[in-house]
Amino acid sequence: MTDMTLLGEVTEFLFLEAELADANAYDEWLALWDDQCTYWVPCNLDDYDPAKHVSIIYDDRARLEERCFRLTTGGAHSQEPRSKVSRVVGNIRVVNPNGEDGTVEVTARTIMVELRLGRKSLYAARCHYTLWRSPSGFKLRRKKVMLLDADERLGNMTFLI
Amino acid sequence: MAHFAELIQPDRVHSAVFTSEDIYKAELENIFYRYWVFVAHESEIPQPGDYCTKWIGEKQLIVSRGADGEIGVFFNRCRHRGAAVCMEEYGNASFFRCPYHGWTYNSSGDLVGVPYPSRYGDDFDKSTLGLGRVPRVGSASGFVFASMAEEGPTLAEHLGKAAGYLEDFVKASPQGTVSLSAGTSKSMFWGNWKFVGMDGYHTNFTHKTVLDLRQRKQGASYKRGAGNSDKSSNESWDLGNGHCRLDLTGKDKVVVGAASNTSIAAGIPDTADGREYMSLMTEAYGDDAPEVIRRSRDVHIHVWPNLQLIGSQVRVVRPLAAGRTEVMSYPAMLDGVPDSVNTERIRSFEWFSGVASFGTPDDTEIFERNQIGLQADHIPWLVLARGLTVEPQEDGSLVGNVTDEVPQRAQMGAWLRAMSDGPAAAADVAAHTEGEAR
Repeated sequence: MTDMTLLGEVTEFLFLEAELADANAYDEWLALWDDQCTYWVPCNLDDYDPAKHVSIIYDDRARLEERCFRLTTGGAHSQEPRSKVSRVVGNIRVVNPNGEDGTVEVTARTIMVELRLGRKSLYAARCHYTLWRSPSGFKLRRKKVMLLDADERLGNMTFLI
Repeated sequence: MAHFAELIQPDRVHSAVFTSEDIYKAELENIFYRYWVFVAHESEIPQPGDYCTKWIGEKQLIVSRGADGEIGVFFNRCRHRGAAVCMEEYGNASFFRCPYHGWTYNSSGDLVGVPYPSRYGDDFDKSTLGLGRVPRVGSASGFVFASMAEEGPTLAEHLGKAAGYLEDFVKASPQGTVSLSAGTSKSMFWGNWKFVGMDGYHTNFTHKTVLDLRQRKQGASYKRGAGNSDKSSNESWDLGNGHCRLDLTGKDKVVVGAASNTSIAAGIPDTADGREYMSLMTEAYGDDAPEVIRRSRDVHIHVWPNLQLIGSQVRVVRPLAAGRTEVMSYPAMLDGVPDSVNTERIRSFEWFSGVASFGTPDDTEIFERNQIGLQADHIPWLVLARGLTVEPQEDGSLVGNVTDEVPQRAQMGAWLRAMSDGPAAAADVAAHTEGEAR
């Protein structure tokens, strides 16, 4: 039996995360992440040992902070002008309400339309989130974005995926 | 009608070299379908029967290791009615069978099976109908090159002084070999392939955020941008035949636990694995080990026309149109080292390289702006005059300050030679460059 209250809370959180990413609100978006976290966008395949295979993004907390710093310090030409992104998060399912260390495991699908300098790109992905229940609400402990295009030639992916 | 020579002056280059579709087509004929070009790395097909599909220009290839272990490069086209016989990027197979009528080739490209052969005449000779073969294939330090010209300079002659840097690159491994086994970062940009060059002048501007990130990490001790100015002792080199390099890590101290001076090379972590790596390297190279490692980090070379080795990565450039280019990048894994050393190379690769990294997306952005800018060709010339008066060294190399346009002129010189004596004559190209080379 699906816990509709939990699903509602999770959905609210994922929608907020999507809104902040779309808005290129780097600092607010960063604040959604736990101090121990992994932001993973696999390359070529959906799953593998990231210690042995290159990823499009494989950020720990320090690198995630670098990412957001880079995008706000000025001179990140690939985001000047910034991408305009509109994404839909759907098919949200709580796959494990009682994960390790009080986390909630969630899967979802996203469709992202990105527009920059007159070029519109469409991305679809399966996402897997590990949400940690902090005293102040959910924090992202892990977000894995499995792009449909993971093994295709990609262009500028410097917006928040 | 403009001759190619009118488009390439000693200190400047005409926009049409980057924007003309006719010139792009002529480049395929005169450069990519003729010169030695990088096609694959031996580690991508280690076992007999292993194959991978690759491209030279618009032609798809199968790079296959036959049962005898020999590497052959074949056009991916059934000799019957032309369907591609292989659609996988990597695999192992005894045979390639065309799905259309079942013609079957072995991994050495020989036609070994034709269904219902009785309807061909007696003179039907399978031995003449093997997969089309790229006539010349050669290898250097594990890097496999192919040339579609039946005759011409040998691979060794073409590589010339570049060959030593390929060797330097693989000697970061105590076994002296690397593997492209960690996947491929695949990218495409809307600009000309020749923008992917060796440029030591752009760093402090294009990569402003990389400097910001390093300053953030290193604090007051960071000498911001010092390695990339006219006051730097770093260098730019013309190695001949279009090959060129930057020398950026001359002062790197190779010790366990110390970061590299460059943003693109991994340091050696101060861990059990890092120390084991140093001891393996010392076993292999003796007291030279730190210098061997420094030299491998220092590899920042463009092997003309389509291969770059930069720090720990291999980068392959393919033109798709005058204004469209594919770049395939691979973090090169060192054979015979603790896993975490290679993991460090992967994480270091992801920091600077790839479509969502902190380095190359800004390069790509500039290449796309180049393409926009060059269309505005009322005044069609690009200026490549930095360090124009650099004198040749004894071995013929030109060595300039790191910000000099020595590499750009090296590549344009090679481009002009290849274009001028190739089969696609200037008369065939560039109706719309007529009268512009003024």
